[in-house]
Amino acid sequence: MSTAHEDPRVTDYALGELSGEELARFEAELAESELLREELAGVKSTLGALREELGSEPKPALDAPRRERIAEQASQGAPKPKRRLRAVAFAAMTVTAAAAGAMLFVTTQGRRAEVASVSMDKAEGKEKGTLGPGTAASAASSEDMPVVNQGQRFNRDAYDAFADNPFVRVATDPRSTFSIDVDTASYSLVRRHLRDGQLPPKGAVRIEEMINYFTYVYPEPTGDRPFSVSSEVGAAPWASGHRLLKLGLKGKHVAPADVPGTNLVFLVDTSGSMSDENKLPLLKQAFSLLVQQLDAVDRVSIVAYAGSAGTVLPPTPGDQRATILGALDRLSSGGSTNGGEGIQLAYELAKQGFVKGGVNRVLLATDGDFNVGVTSQSDLVDLVEKKAKTGVFLSVLGFGAGNFNDSTMEKLADKGNGNYAYIDTLNEAKKVLVEQATGTLMTIAKDVKIQIEFNPAEVSEFRLIGYENRVLSHHDFNDDKKDAGEIGADHTVTALYEIVPAGGAPTGPGNDPLKYQAPGTPTGKAARGELATVKLRYKQPAGSESQLIEVVVRDTDAKESDDFRFAAAVAELGMLLRDSPHKGSSSFADTVRLASSGELDERRREFVDLVRTAERLKR
Amino acid sequence: MQDGKVRWVMEALSRYEAALLRYAATLVDRAQAKDVVQETFLELCKAEREAVEGHLAAWLFTVCKHRAVDARRKAQRLRSLEDADVNEAPDSGPIQKLERRQTLSRVGVALEALPEREREALLLKLDGGLSYKEIAKIMGLSTSNVGFILHTAIKRIQREIARDSELPMRAAGRTS
Repeated sequence: MSTAHEDPRVTDYALGELSGEELARFEAELAESELLREELAGVKSTLGALREELGSEPKPALDAPRRERIAEQASQGAPKPKRRLRAVAFAAMTVTAAAAGAMLFVTTQGRRAEVASVSMDKAEGKEKGTLGPGTAASAASSEDMPVVNQGQRFNRDAYDAFADNPFVRVATDPRSTFSIDVDTASYSLVRRHLRDGQLPPKGAVRIEEMINYFTYVYPEPTGDRPFSVSSEVGAAPWASGHRLLKLGLKGKHVAPADVPGTNLVFLVDTSGSMSDENKLPLLKQAFSLLVQQLDAVDRVSIVAYAGSAGTVLPPTPGDQRATILGALDRLSSGGSTNGGEGIQLAYELAKQGFVKGGVNRVLLATDGDFNVGVTSQSDLVDLVEKKAKTGVFLSVLGFGAGNFNDSTMEKLADKGNGNYAYIDTLNEAKKVLVEQATGTLMTIAKDVKIQIEFNPAEVSEFRLIGYENRVLSHHDFNDDKKDAGEIGADHTVTALYEIVPAGGAPTGPGNDPLKYQAPGTPTGKAARGELATVKLRYKQPAGSESQLIEVVVRDTDAKESDDFRFAAAVAELGMLLRDSPHKGSSSFADTVRLASSGELDERRREFVDLVRTAERLKR
Repeated sequence: MQDGKVRWVMEALSRYEAALLRYAATLVDRAQAKDVVQETFLELCKAEREAVEGHLAAWLFTVCKHRAVDARRKAQRLRSLEDADVNEAPDSGPIQKLERRQTLSRVGVALEALPEREREALLLKLDGGLSYKEIAKIMGLSTSNVGFILHTAIKRIQREIARDSELPMRAAGRTS
């Protein structure tokens, strides 16, 4: 009888490799032995950590020349089809393409089978002498190779891991500087994972994007300012004694008639993996919704990229809907992805159709795995950044699951002065592309940075919730060369700070006092009872010099608004899903209570349902 | 004409290239791994689709392993001819290894520090999603042996994680 520690069946069981009698016996033992259960829990958590690690590691990919060589070999030297995109209406397309594929296969099968058997003989001959018959290339014969379990297929979604922002002591560092972020993709990604019955990887949970998925009521900006700034302070629901500061930005409303014109280039990924119902077909529906909003002054172009990139539609006036929708319809999926080439072409078309003073934007729609072709990823990011300076911005719309390169997408949108949204349903498409069409597309201020200085007389510690990958150095705030986030028409941006009031219990051991310096002495202004001063810098969309806004925040002890409690609830869910060290006393039940304490619209009701789902999955 | 085949191969490529490149890198250096994976897919182009479908992953990892073993043997021959270690891959020197480790998480470090055989089995299982039986074939082992190797690997990493949480600075170390 071996001890549980040496019992490899624990691993077999955790990997689903036990079956029949063995499985029954093991489960009986498991029910009996506390030690065995502990072992199993340990193995399972290690496996989880390993899976997360493999999922979050950067994914290596073959370079373009190698890829092309493979594509060439796959087509066996047959002449390249002139056009990948068949001129067939889409609904009919999928069916005919499948049938055509099957027929082609039958007709060429004989010849190909010969080729295959020759090459395998060769392979076997080569291997037999060295590896032994048991390990030779016999995998090519199907009988003895069990079918690969599709359910175990490794999920290749790539997320960057990051740690929560820590508490900062006002005595040593009273400032907090970050760039705004209007992305909302994280919320949709989290929703997809939960609906699929799995907890999202921690790296996919970006709390600021979850909070910003929802709109909150903020005052309209007045005067020349492109956005308004407001704040609210209330209790932090998850930590007694702590306060929560909610900062809100609201972009001014721009009537569609006031938009000088929109020049959109749809850059559509038509690689093979895009054929799923929730990808290309959904994308087409989403774009047709957007096209309905355009008119004669607007321009629409379409670029498809797969094995090679091609123009599907040159810049076309927005009122020629039949032409545009027809071109959209003709998009079909097939081939691999060469995003690098596609993006160059898209920028070329954007230049051709450039509308001065208007919205000039490339909308990249993809399921991820963005193969950048001859250029490296950093070259691509540079390109996107350079083009943003010429006035052509990039937005990224993510589709589908299982192959999704979240980190690349976010970086591209970030550098391209754009937004990044993840589209999993037609409703989401409507939200992103129709209801918020002006906000999504019309940038009203760029390089928006926030710097807060907390008052040591009122605050002892603070923590920025979320925005981990948007934190800036303090000196970046006044550096106009430093890129930051954009805000669109009607957009709202929300940021939360958790605050330990002066005199509150410290959150950690803290540092020893300095030997050569005394801590700063408060100025006379510290006694004014102000919690903090918020400074914002922004540039006009075409400007290069920043402007400054300053706002003072006070803690008035007023009752928290519905919006305040809801935003806190979203932050709570994020912390629970991230298993954040700052989650305090929060629980899913509390989150539900907190979120439901105010009025709920459809989106907020959906949020409450998601919290319940997460609670079930976490059990 | 061959759109169906091209699409099938390229889809297999996007789905498995990362896992195969990682796997191949356990057997050869990173530069060679790319060649090995390219050869694997060239082989797939020549294979009969019907004979491969249903166990595509196992097929790819099997061929990948063979190509990697070939490449390794070739590299060894070259090295003995030149009788110098200039052939050392540019990213496998101790400094590069250390640098790479610094960018990895604790689990990543523990994974890199595993003995080759254990890492190979673990990648085949977790990254390739293969069954014990398939892994056994590829590695030339018995099925129960695969289970044992995986168990050992997981326990080793479990220990590393537990140890690392006490001594985070020693993350790159190896248990004796």
